[in-house]
Amino acid sequence: MRLGARHIWLAVATAPIVGFFALPILYLVAVSFKTKDDVLSGHFWPTVATFANWPDAFEAADIAGFIFNSVTVSVFAGLLTIALALPSSYAVLRLKIGGKWLADVTLSSYMAPPIVALIPLFFLLKGTGLLNTRAGLVLIYGFANVPVAFWLLTPFLRRMPIEIEQAAAIDGAGPLRTLLEIVAPIIAPGIVATLIIVTVLSYNEFLFASAFTFSDATRTLPVGISLFQGDRLVNFGQMAAASLAGIAPVYLIALFMQRYLVSGLAHGGVK
Amino acid sequence: MTAFAADVMRLGQTRHTVRRSLLPARLGRALWIAPVILALTVTTLYPTVFLLALAFSKSTLGKPFRGFAGLKHFATTLQDPIFLSALVRSVAYALTTSLLQLTLGFLIALLFTSLLKAGRVLMSLVLLPLMTPPVMVGVAWKLILAPAGGLLNGTLLKYGLISEPISFLGHPLLAWLAIAVADLWQWTPFIVILCFAALSTIPEGVHEAALVDGANAWQRFRHITLPLVAAPLSSIYLLKLILSFKLFDLVYILTFGGPGFATTSAGFSIYRRAIEQFDVGRAAAETIVYGLVIGLAALPVVRIHQHFERRES
Repeated sequence: MRLGARHIWLAVATAPIVGFFALPILYLVAVSFKTKDDVLSGHFWPTVATFANWPDAFEAADIAGFIFNSVTVSVFAGLLTIALALPSSYAVLRLKIGGKWLADVTLSSYMAPPIVALIPLFFLLKGTGLLNTRAGLVLIYGFANVPVAFWLLTPFLRRMPIEIEQAAAIDGAGPLRTLLEIVAPIIAPGIVATLIIVTVLSYNEFLFASAFTFSDATRTLPVGISLFQGDRLVNFGQMAAASLAGIAPVYLIALFMQRYLVSGLAHGGVK
Repeated sequence: MTAFAADVMRLGQTRHTVRRSLLPARLGRALWIAPVILALTVTTLYPTVFLLALAFSKSTLGKPFRGFAGLKHFATTLQDPIFLSALVRSVAYALTTSLLQLTLGFLIALLFTSLLKAGRVLMSLVLLPLMTPPVMVGVAWKLILAPAGGLLNGTLLKYGLISEPISFLGHPLLAWLAIAVADLWQWTPFIVILCFAALSTIPEGVHEAALVDGANAWQRFRHITLPLVAAPLSSIYLLKLILSFKLFDLVYILTFGGPGFATTSAGFSIYRRAIEQFDVGRAAAETIVYGLVIGLAALPVVRIHQHFERRES
């Protein structure tokens, strides 16, 4: 009996929280099925559901192209970040190369807001002919997320027992082979979580993308959506449909990889 | 350097060269950290040097460094009431919303901890706002808050709480509130996950011991839980503070800095100065001033964190 009351109390406390976090997404879904007049009604659900917004949105703007750009840029950037951060974090934490100062400098470089790098990187891309290219964005994101990856990988590398590497060294494995063949498989959950998180960060990024791309061939989805709303004849139904189409890939990843993600973020932890 | 690391290094190179000379070994070691050095150079060192150079020169987005400008850009920046108030707003926004989100996130984490298994399921649900692209978060909240047909106005009208639709994003204070709510929606889940992790490090036995000693729920929370998570909480606050100073996307989508300059954050102001007005020299000076202000604002939080960490060890 006592337990029942406690359960009810907890459910009462939890319901509004879940409601609040679900509301904006549910409303986007609802609006994406509303007709133009229905959008102005102020009701939650559409009075008459229409499916026209979805194909219309993809026709009104090159949403498919934007999503393709976002996915390719973020995946390559994510892989680049891991390729840069994994050997370095392994070297700093396990081989004691570079020392504590390097870890500190890497982490504190994350403190500066990205606006600091906006103008200098603009000129860098312009000078190298990479302005308004997807390759340019891949390089910028790949470099910019290294501190995040470093931070997320650190606890996984720290917790690994030293005996494993010692055994590898006795067997004559060099540090690179040890990292790739022994360490990487052990901390695979951490690498996967880190890869997903940095990829999603690139996928979601807006500031650099909006300043460094200016043609439909190179724009990523957040930029595409932001242009949607600059349009004076903005159609809310289409905008909601386009937004959901852009959110869908991230939510699918979150759904299938939630175990890795929560543990990756939680362990990435803070002291 | 540990003896083991030395071993590994020796085995990494061909044995003989390493023993004969130190230089190749050193180069080999440097190669390991070259990637992170390269990344830091491109994203931090080069931008800082470049910005300093820009801030002291006459420049446009088309042609940088067209002559020495001295302290002109800094003088203009420090005398510009619009930029100065944007600075004040950015700092006030970051400090207050981060504290609010930390409190809320911590309470939700406590709730989820007591929900046990269901809490873990909810944890994967709260992951979703965190993963949502900020631009889309802005779009969703813009639809909710729209004066014509927005969900909030529709609901308030339906229950007769208001007679005219309110333009939430057209009112200086309400527009900030709207940004804060969207920000809270996106980032509180992150804080919940971190607080949940911090809470799960408290050993079970501690609570049981206190229970045996007859401590009530509040006493256990106040004298056991809180002191044990004080250090992590202070660093979570610092982390959220840093993230809040990056505020840009939500301003861009929800208000575009308006009405007037009411919701123009420092970052947004710099962006418009550089990308729309092409005045990169002045934008560089503003960025440097903003960077210094962030450092000053974060310093007390770093001190608090160090205090808690020292107390713990």
